[in-house]
Amino acid sequence: MADLSSGAIPRRFNPWPVTIFTVLFILAVLFLTPTIGVLLSSVKTTRAIALGDLWSWPDRLYLGNYAEVFSNPAVHRYFLNTLIVTLPATLASTALGVLAGYTFAKLPFRGSNLLFLVVIAGMFFPPQVILVPLFRLFNSMGLIDTLWPIFLVHTALGIPICTLLMRNFFATVPNALREAAILEGANEWQVLTRVVLPLSLPALAVLATLQFTWIWNDFLWPLIFTQSDEKRTIMVGIVNLRGQYTVAWGVQGALSLIASLPTLLIFLYFQRFFIKGMTMGAVKG
Amino acid sequence: MAQVTLKNIKKSFGPTEVIKGVDLDIQQGEFVVFVGPSGCGKSTMLRMISGLEDVSAGQIGIDGRDVTHVSPSKRDLAMVFQSYALFPHLTVAENIGFGLKLHKTPKAEINRRVEEVAKTLQLEALLDRTPRQLSGGQRQRVAIGRSIIRNPKVFLFDEPLSNLDAALRGKMRLEIARLHKELKDVTMIYVTHDQVEAMTLADRIVVFNQGRIEQVGTPMELYHTPANPFVAGFIGAPAMNFLPAEMLSEQQVRLGETVLDLPQSSALSGAVTLGIRPEHIEVSDGGEIMATLDLMEKLGSETLLHLTTPFSDSPLTARVDGAVELTEGQTLRLKFNPNAVHIFAASEVRPAMTA
Ligand SMILES: Nc1ncnc2c1ncn2[C@@H]1O[C@H](COP(=O)(O)OP(=O)(O)OP(=O)(O)O)[C@@H](O)[C@H]1O
Ligand SMILES: [Mg+2]
Repeated sequence: MADLSSGAIPRRFNPWPVTIFTVLFILAVLFLTPTIGVLLSSVKTTRAIALGDLWSWPDRLYLGNYAEVFSNPAVHRYFLNTLIVTLPATLASTALGVLAGYTFAKLPFRGSNLLFLVVIAGMFFPPQVILVPLFRLFNSMGLIDTLWPIFLVHTALGIPICTLLMRNFFATVPNALREAAILEGANEWQVLTRVVLPLSLPALAVLATLQFTWIWNDFLWPLIFTQSDEKRTIMVGIVNLRGQYTVAWGVQGALSLIASLPTLLIFLYFQRFFIKGMTMGAVKG
Repeated sequence: MAQVTLKNIKKSFGPTEVIKGVDLDIQQGEFVVFVGPSGCGKSTMLRMISGLEDVSAGQIGIDGRDVTHVSPSKRDLAMVFQSYALFPHLTVAENIGFGLKLHKTPKAEINRRVEEVAKTLQLEALLDRTPRQLSGGQRQRVAIGRSIIRNPKVFLFDEPLSNLDAALRGKMRLEIARLHKELKDVTMIYVTHDQVEAMTLADRIVVFNQGRIEQVGTPMELYHTPANPFVAGFIGAPAMNFLPAEMLSEQQVRLGETVLDLPQSSALSGAVTLGIRPEHIEVSDGGEIMATLDLMEKLGSETLLHLTTPFSDSPLTARVDGAVELTEGQTLRLKFNPNAVHIFAASEVRPAMTA
């Protein structure tokens, strides 16, 4: 056996694995470098960074930046604000996506496919275009410098992707299951909550994670709709931490890392669903 | 009183009319089987009875009540799907008790009835499993369990056994027959492609063709007195042979060189189609019909002969005892049992082959 494989046919050099590996390696470096930079800056004193000592390995771990972040009441406020916006907006956009997706997937009506396309088209709409009108609208409603506009905008902008994802997942749930449930006496709401949703947990988890991450990390809308420090969310807060005349690289780095922890944790918690969600339906059980 | 009444039911999907006017009365406790070629509208008819599909025109009555526009869950019927449609995230027990739970039945009562049903269907040992962990036959039994637990008045089956292998299908067929015997008052409507299922299970068979009913009758009625060549060709396997023939008088028909005397007189005259089932053809030295044996299929207890005759282009099939010794290529003398000869107008459509 060994003789056959080693001696007979000289294997042709296949350039693809090497190329792919190289490309992936470069991409990984490109992605990781800023993260490492932030990580390094978070454990150095502002003075050390100002001296241009950013990329060197620190000789001692300086945790003063973290201490400063954790003890800063403004940071607590940022976190709270972000949560107040992110959780309800994630919930609302996912819930709307579930309802719309179910209708498009299981209760089609005349023109529903066209309507679905119209809803999906919302995804390709640049938000900058509606920025000024929205500002004026919320301003006239007296909602500027509250968290409401951020919640409303994220809920609305989340509808296309949530609807798309849920519709496509619901479409893979066999119609016979819905019909069987209906014959057993279920109404549409019960079909959704007792049969279709329990089968769609992977899709729900993926969607909720995406929405949470996207809303949590958003910078644009909070920047536009809030003004006072008490209403800022975390991503705007990072920038705000910079004093008027000082550059607080280290503190900002520390806060950046802390700010990305929730999304990371959510992803880690739901990651098994990411894999499952992608392979589910491949095998009919 | 009829349990299920269908009055001039029509159904169109867009511009295509799929059901073109169906009238049928089904009695309480009756086992009715719908058969017909693929695409003739059997499933559509069943789904309209269940309420999953709206009718385009006509009236559906169940138990004396007009349910044409009543929602499926209020029609007091249950349906077993070809794909079983078990809920994958629920256990067998939860699947069977699903409907009761929706109706807010007390837990103890649900458990009691689930166990009762599980016992009837020999599912007791499987109650904690999920559908994924069951074999095809077991899944089918769970699907049946889920529908009988609510004691519906009418049971609908859409090809429930077609996903099972032949041996299991035979076993499940017996179980369904047994179930029907046990649940005496329950009306069953059953769609199938399978001749044997139709013949053995049915009190009455309804033969559909292109959205219409061709004939309704007991299996034996359809077998012995088919109303037209379509039904004649559809019921019975192998299918009935059709041969061109000519009426000489009311009781005499000429087939090639042979003249057959019929026991009853026929109203037809001139060119006709003569139908004869393979099992009513005999190989006999006294036979007057000559045929060449092309091919033999030995099935053990019986042998199927595929023959060519000088007076017809299409081959002739005969079914003879398995012990008969013949050789291919041989010329045989055949005798048609005159009591089993059917005369149809020559213009009547030739049936599609049975599915
Ligand atoms: N939802 C639908 N929309 C459009 N046409 C349909 C729909 N459902 C069924 N049809 C058409 O109606 C006709 C009858 O279909 P049906 O499923 O009732 O046939 P069937 O007799 O059950 O066939 P099979 O034996 O293959 O199951 C077919 O021509 C089918 O294409
Ligand atoms: Mg069908």
